[in-house]
Amino acid sequence: MSSPFSINGGACVAMVGKDCVAIACDLRLGLQALTVSNNFPKIFQYGDNVFLGLTGLATDVSTVSDLFRYKVNMYRLREERQIAPRTFANLVSSSLYEKRFGPWFVSPVVAGLDPKTGQPFICGFDSIGCIDFAKDFIVSGTASEQLFGMCESLWEPGLDADQLFETISQSLLNAVDRDALSGWGAHVYIIEKDKVTKRLLKGRQD
Amino acid sequence: MPGFDFSNYNRNAALHARGVPLPKATSTGTTIVGCIYDGGVVIAADTRATSGPIVADKNCEKLHYISPNIWCAGAGTAADTEFTTAIISSQLELHSLSTGRKPRVVTCMTLLKQHLFRYQGHIGAYLVVAGVDPTGTHLFTVHAHGSTDKLPYVTMGSGSLAAMSVFETQWKSKLTQDEAVKLCADAIEAGIWNDLGSGSNVDVAIITAEKTTLKRNYIKPNERTQKLKSYAFPKGTTAVLNEKIIRKQDIGNFVTIHDLTEEGGDKMEVDT
Amino acid sequence: MEVLLGITGQDFTLIAASKAAMRGATVLKAADDKTRSLNKHTLMAFSGEAGDTVQFAEYIQANAQLYSMRNEADLSPSALAHFVRGELASSLRSRKPYNVNLLLGGVDPITHKSSLYWLDYLASLAPVPYAAHGYAQYYCLSILDKHHHPDISLEQGIKLLNLCTDELKRRLPIDFKGMVVKAVTKDGIIDIEFDDDKVVKSA
Repeated sequence: MSSPFSINGGACVAMVGKDCVAIACDLRLGLQALTVSNNFPKIFQYGDNVFLGLTGLATDVSTVSDLFRYKVNMYRLREERQIAPRTFANLVSSSLYEKRFGPWFVSPVVAGLDPKTGQPFICGFDSIGCIDFAKDFIVSGTASEQLFGMCESLWEPGLDADQLFETISQSLLNAVDRDALSGWGAHVYIIEKDKVTKRLLKGRQD
Repeated sequence: MPGFDFSNYNRNAALHARGVPLPKATSTGTTIVGCIYDGGVVIAADTRATSGPIVADKNCEKLHYISPNIWCAGAGTAADTEFTTAIISSQLELHSLSTGRKPRVVTCMTLLKQHLFRYQGHIGAYLVVAGVDPTGTHLFTVHAHGSTDKLPYVTMGSGSLAAMSVFETQWKSKLTQDEAVKLCADAIEAGIWNDLGSGSNVDVAIITAEKTTLKRNYIKPNERTQKLKSYAFPKGTTAVLNEKIIRKQDIGNFVTIHDLTEEGGDKMEVDT
Repeated sequence: MEVLLGITGQDFTLIAASKAAMRGATVLKAADDKTRSLNKHTLMAFSGEAGDTVQFAEYIQANAQLYSMRNEADLSPSALAHFVRGELASSLRSRKPYNVNLLLGGVDPITHKSSLYWLDYLASLAPVPYAAHGYAQYYCLSILDKHHHPDISLEQGIKLLNLCTDELKRRLPIDFKGMVVKAVTKDGIIDIEFDDDKVVKSA
């Protein structure tokens, strides 16, 4: 039996642009080499511009995404305001570390814009909640090594929304083409101050 | 301290028994050092975080705040160093509030070692604790199993041997602040160049009786040069099958607001 | 060697399950029904460890029916699928987890949209247009990839199902004793007559 992180497969990436952020994921759900579904999105929205990407064991992706929906809803009722990306990142971190000795098999990625300053915010986590704050990009999933290579070479500072879309899309698409467990289409979210654009990408179906 | 939740433990232990490997945690395969000088203490760290052979973060922070006059450098499992120092920091804050005294470095060190000993090394935090309190200047190391050391200069992490070689050849008693900072930075650099688990930049914190100075990225010997060519793609490179734009102003279209007045609103039917 | 198949179409969801109840190399029963109806328009098929399967399915069935009685309203197929996933996910973290794979098919009573949910013993949930469990996945998914369309009629769906069972008879080394076939439409769950005696010549 292989690692729980690579049973179902999947990839996720987030990037910072000029006054915008992007987050993208593939759509595959598999069981080892068998693809079960090509419509299993791994990005979840928790506010006007707070997004969470989850890769890893599919059952934990669903459980953890539902758990945060519950926690964020409770936060909104208690505080009577939307959760900010940085606050949400700390919620994710402490929730994961709570299970330090029996972790969820997920590698989360948070992307969003600060509701006050409009500053882009992205960060990633390991499965026990160590936050990786990055100024450029965050990758996760079975194609993370390929994504590291793609992002490290394609990303540059100050990309506008349209350029950022092309950069993140090409990074993801070309990374998952070199990973047997990821791919089968992709979702890309471009998050700007007053609008969010969600695009479905044409990807290889093999 | 709020406890850990072991609800997934049995499931994962069963999985592990069937040969499933443990998840890779981000580790700070690290170089961290500390050095006492006349008038204070200096601690320093590199900024590389690794996950197996992959560099997970090129510029992470390994110097953790405990209290204004006590700081901690962390090596080992990154999440453990982060949360252990945060928990002890909060306990120490409450302790100093209830006693009305400034927190002491020995108190911090004792809380850390007792916490780590309770978990028998399963919390993988390896720390350098440094600070100045009313009893003087102090420098300790705390290991994950709970053992501690008190020395004038210390190193920890995978780069500790490289860093220690610098201290053993260049350390002397009666250092000035500038000399201590230079010595610590050189020791970290020895780790950056000679240890694969350490890399990127040097962070330094100088603690004196008066104040603490955190010098984030004190030395940046690994700056990325500007790319000679842009790889930005022309617009329309990526094939899009479907597009949906959600504008904030449009969200208002789905919400209607009704003002309810005392009389105007229909009274709810109530059984009497 | 248990076979579960599910196919959605324009206004129906087909669920088929093999009739053989096996224990090791022995067929204990040749007319087993591995499906349970959760309410008027939701059907669940299950396979996995003997004992776990029926226990879990009937536990879900009882709770679904209890909900319908208490609220005088049925849960939608989507709501039920997420409920089942929740139960299976919390079982997964218990001392002895249920080892059950499921297909959950239905037609929404309000929108009349057909749906099919694939769930494995790890509580991975995926909404899919067609699905299978066990070895049948390796034989049938490729056939369905080629021939399935979202707007097929029930007759075309049954033809597709025949294509799948023919291939299974041809390639599976053990006789699975034919299929129980049921269809969920907006009018409820109906049993479909299925020719189990059809002989398929091997290649």
